[in-house]
Amino acid sequence: MAAPEQIPETVHTLVEQRYPGAEVKVSARSDLRSDGAFGDQWLLLAGDRVLVCHDGEVTRVSADLPLAEISSFEIDNLVGGASLRAVMNGQRVDLLPFSNALADRFGRVREQLNAAAKGKPIREREEKAVRCPTCGLVLGEYTRVCPRCLRRGAVLRRLLGYTRPYRGRLTLIITLLICGTAVGLAPPMLTRYLVDDVLIPRKNVHLLFLLVAGLAGTSVFSTAMEIARNRLAAWLGGRISFDLRAELYDRLQWLSLRYYDHHPTGALISRLTQDSGGVQDLLAFALPMVVSSVVQVIGVAIVLFVMNWKLAILALVPIPFLSMLSHSLWRRLRKAWHAFWYRWSGFHTTVNEALNRVKVTKAFSQQPTEIARFGDRNADLRNAAVWAEQTSGTMFPIMWLVVGSGSLLIWLFGGMLAVRNEISPGSIVAFLGYVGMIQWPLNSLSQVAQWLSRSLTAAERVFEVLDAESDSEKTRGSVAPERLQGAVDFQGVSFGYERHQQVLKEVSFRVEPGHMLGLVGKSGAGKTTIVNLLCRFYDADEGQVRVDDIDVRELALWSYRQHLGVVLQEAFLFSGTIAENIAYGRPDATLEEIMAAAKVANAHDFVINKPDGYDEQVGERGGRLSAGEKQRICIARAILRDPAILILDEATANVDLETEQQIQEAIGRLIEGRTTFAIAHRLSTLRNAHQLLVMEDGKIVENGTHEELEAKDGVYANLLKMHRETSMVGLGALHAD
Amino acid sequence: MLTKAGRSSLDLRYLDPEEVRVFRGEDGRVYATIADEVTLISPAFMRSHPLTDPDRYISIKGTKPKEGSETRGDEFGLLRNWRKLDPESRSIVEQELARRYLYPRLKRILSLTDYSGTQVCVFETDRGLREVTLRDVRDNVVYLGHNRVLLTDAENNRYDVPDIAALDRQSRAYLTRVL
Repeated sequence: MAAPEQIPETVHTLVEQRYPGAEVKVSARSDLRSDGAFGDQWLLLAGDRVLVCHDGEVTRVSADLPLAEISSFEIDNLVGGASLRAVMNGQRVDLLPFSNALADRFGRVREQLNAAAKGKPIREREEKAVRCPTCGLVLGEYTRVCPRCLRRGAVLRRLLGYTRPYRGRLTLIITLLICGTAVGLAPPMLTRYLVDDVLIPRKNVHLLFLLVAGLAGTSVFSTAMEIARNRLAAWLGGRISFDLRAELYDRLQWLSLRYYDHHPTGALISRLTQDSGGVQDLLAFALPMVVSSVVQVIGVAIVLFVMNWKLAILALVPIPFLSMLSHSLWRRLRKAWHAFWYRWSGFHTTVNEALNRVKVTKAFSQQPTEIARFGDRNADLRNAAVWAEQTSGTMFPIMWLVVGSGSLLIWLFGGMLAVRNEISPGSIVAFLGYVGMIQWPLNSLSQVAQWLSRSLTAAERVFEVLDAESDSEKTRGSVAPERLQGAVDFQGVSFGYERHQQVLKEVSFRVEPGHMLGLVGKSGAGKTTIVNLLCRFYDADEGQVRVDDIDVRELALWSYRQHLGVVLQEAFLFSGTIAENIAYGRPDATLEEIMAAAKVANAHDFVINKPDGYDEQVGERGGRLSAGEKQRICIARAILRDPAILILDEATANVDLETEQQIQEAIGRLIEGRTTFAIAHRLSTLRNAHQLLVMEDGKIVENGTHEELEAKDGVYANLLKMHRETSMVGLGALHAD
Repeated sequence: MLTKAGRSSLDLRYLDPEEVRVFRGEDGRVYATIADEVTLISPAFMRSHPLTDPDRYISIKGTKPKEGSETRGDEFGLLRNWRKLDPESRSIVEQELARRYLYPRLKRILSLTDYSGTQVCVFETDRGLREVTLRDVRDNVVYLGHNRVLLTDAENNRYDVPDIAALDRQSRAYLTRVL
C-alpha cells in the first residue's frame, strides 16, 4: 500500500500506444471497477483525451472521450461512494465510480478537469494527507501520529527531556531503586543460612536471632526505600504532567483558528486530559516499574548463577515459555474487560439519553419501550460483566499456577542435587525465593509492553499539538498605532478555509471611518468570512486587507485587536459575575465604567433587578439569563472596550421583537463614531447603514446605500420585497417600516 | 392539490410492476416509462430501507425529459417489489441498484494486525478482496439486530456483516477483537 500514486507501467504503455507522446496532465486511481467490485481503474487526462483505463488481469481502455466536447465534470453522490461523470452535449456520461476513501481526492480531480475543460491552467492541489507518508497506513482524521512508524525511542528521549529540571530527584529515585533492589536480594540468602546453619543442625540459637534481625532489618529498609521512591515518583510524575499540561494549554490558546477548523475541540480536550494523563502514568509508574524489574531480574540472575549455575539455567529456561503462555492469558483478560467497558459506556449513554428525554417518553406513553430498551442494555452489561469477572476468576488462578510451576522444577532438580549432596537444602529455599521474585515481573512483561506503547502514543499525540503551526499572533507585525481611525479597505481579497474551496473571490470595497457597513446575502455567501479576515482570525490568500491604509499583516495583532469590538449571534458569557463578563475585554475597568457601559447597552436596569445585581453569577453559558439579556451584556462588553471598529455578526437574530428594539437602540448608541460591520438577516436592522454590500457566492454583487440599491431593482430590492411580504404575514408586521 | 389521476399529492404512489418499463435508450442512457404517462431520463432507483429491507419499496425519482435539467428530481412512485418487473426492466434496475449502493458485504477476514489501536485487515467481500484499516471501530459500529453489524473503516467506507454467527471461526475471532 504505497502512498504515492504512480501510474502503473501497463496503463502507461496502453496510453502511449493509443496516443503516442500525449502528456498526462491529470491522473487518479479509483478503487472500484465499473461493476462495483474492488479493483483499480485509472482516470487520465492525456493530451486532449479523457481516458478511463481498467487495470486488472487485462488492461484496457473502458472510456475515451475528447476533452473538447466535455462542458464540465460532476460527481454523482452514491451510497458508500460516488461516481465521476462528464457532461457532453447536455448528456451525462459515467466515467468511473470510487469509494468514500477517495472522495476528497476525486473532488480535487474534478476541479482540475473542470479547469482543463475551460482551458484554464491546471493547478496542483494540496492533498489532504490521510496516510502515513512513510508506511502508508491510513491515519485518523485529526492526527498525523502513525502507530506503526512511531519512533518510540525518540519520543521517550523527548519525554525524558521533561525530567531535566528535576534531574536531582530523578537521580535520587534511581539510586533508591537500585539500593532497594539490592537490599531486596538479601532475604533469600539469609533464609539459606537460616536453613543450613540453624534449622538442619538444630543449634546456633544466637545465629537465629541474628538472621531474623537481619530479615527484619532488610524488609524494613526495603519498605522505607519503596515508600520514599513512590513518593518521589508521584511528585515527579505530577510535576512533569503539570509542565506538560501547562505547555499544552498555552499552545492551545495560541494555535491558529485554521488548526481548530481541522481538529474538533473534543479531540483536543482529550489530548489535554487523557493523553497528558497517559504521559504521567508512563513517567510515574510504567518506567520505574520497568527499570526496577530489569534491575531485579539482572540482580537475581547474577546471584543465581553465582550460587549454582546448573540450577540457575534450569530455573531460567522455562521462563520465556511461561511468559508466552501468560501473554495469551492476559490477552483474553484484556478482551473481556474491553468488552465490558464498552458495554458500560453504552449503558451510560442509554440511561443518560433516556432520562434526558423523559418528557417526550411520557408524552408518547413509551415508558414500556424505554424500560425494554434499558432491559436489553442492562442484560448486555450483565453478560459482559459476568464474562469479564469469570475470565478474571479463571485466568488469575491459572496465571498463578503458571508462575508457580517454575518452582516445581527447582524442587525436582534441586532436590535431586541435594540428595546427591551437591547443594545444601538452604540453597534450594534461597533459589525458590529468588525465582519467586522475578517470576511476576517477567510474567507481566507483555502487559507492561502494551502499557508503554499506549503511553508513548499518547505522548506523541501531545507532542503533535505542541509542534503544530503556531498562530501568527505573537510573531509577525510590529506597527501598533495608539488610535485607529477605522478606514477599512479590502483590495482584491481571495480566501478559502480549505485551500481547494474559495469562499471569497477577489473582493474589493472601502469603508470610510465611522461609517456603518451592512453585509447582506445568503448563508455561505462569505459575510462572516469578511469579518474573520478583518479580525485577522485568518489571513487572506490573495489581496490585502488594509486598516487606515496599513496592511493588517503589518499591524501587531495584539494591539490591533484592542481596537476591535465583536458582538456575535451566540452571546457567550463566561462563568463569573455579570460585572466580570462586561469587563472581560478590559479587566482594569472601574465599577462606574462598567455600569456606564451597561446603561448604554440597555442592560443596567435588568441587572439591578437581579438579586445579586452586578455580582449575579452567570453559569457556564449564562444559563440564568434570557437570550436578550445575554446579548445586551455582550454589547456592554463591546462598549466598554470602546473599539474603533465594531463587528456585529447577527447580533439580534435570537431575540424577540421587543428585546430586539431595545438591543437595536443600544446598538444605535454603540455604533456612533465607529466603523461598523454588521451582518443581519433582518434587513430592517441595516436601515441606518451608510453602505450595503450584497454578497453572493463569495463575490460582491451590489454595493451602495439602501436607497440606491432599492432603486436598482436587483438582488437587494428583491430581498427587500420578500422581506416585506413575510413581515406582513408574521408578527414582523409590527415593526415593518 | 390533486393531480390529474385524482390522488392527493400527499399520498404515496405505489406503482404496479406492470405499468413500469425500464429500458436503455440508443444513447446508452436509462429510461423509465410509468403508466404511459411519463418517460423519465436517467431516473434514480433508491432503496427506502437499504439496510433492513433492501428489495422492497424502491423509489423511482427523476425529471421529465422536457425540463432539461437532470437533477434527481421528484419521486414518481414506489415499487413494492422490483423483482416483479419484466425481465429487461428487472435486469437494468438490478444494475442500477448495484451501481448506487456500493457498500460491500463481509464474507471473511483473512488477516488482522494490530498497531496499538489501529488494525490493518484483509477483508474478503462480495466485491472482492480489500485491505481495510480500522480505528476506534467500537465508536462507530452500528448494530442491526443481534448478529448483524455495519463496520466503518478509517477511510469512511462501510462494510456490512450480515450475520456474525455465519462467519468462520477465525473471522469471528478477529471480529470480536475489534468489537
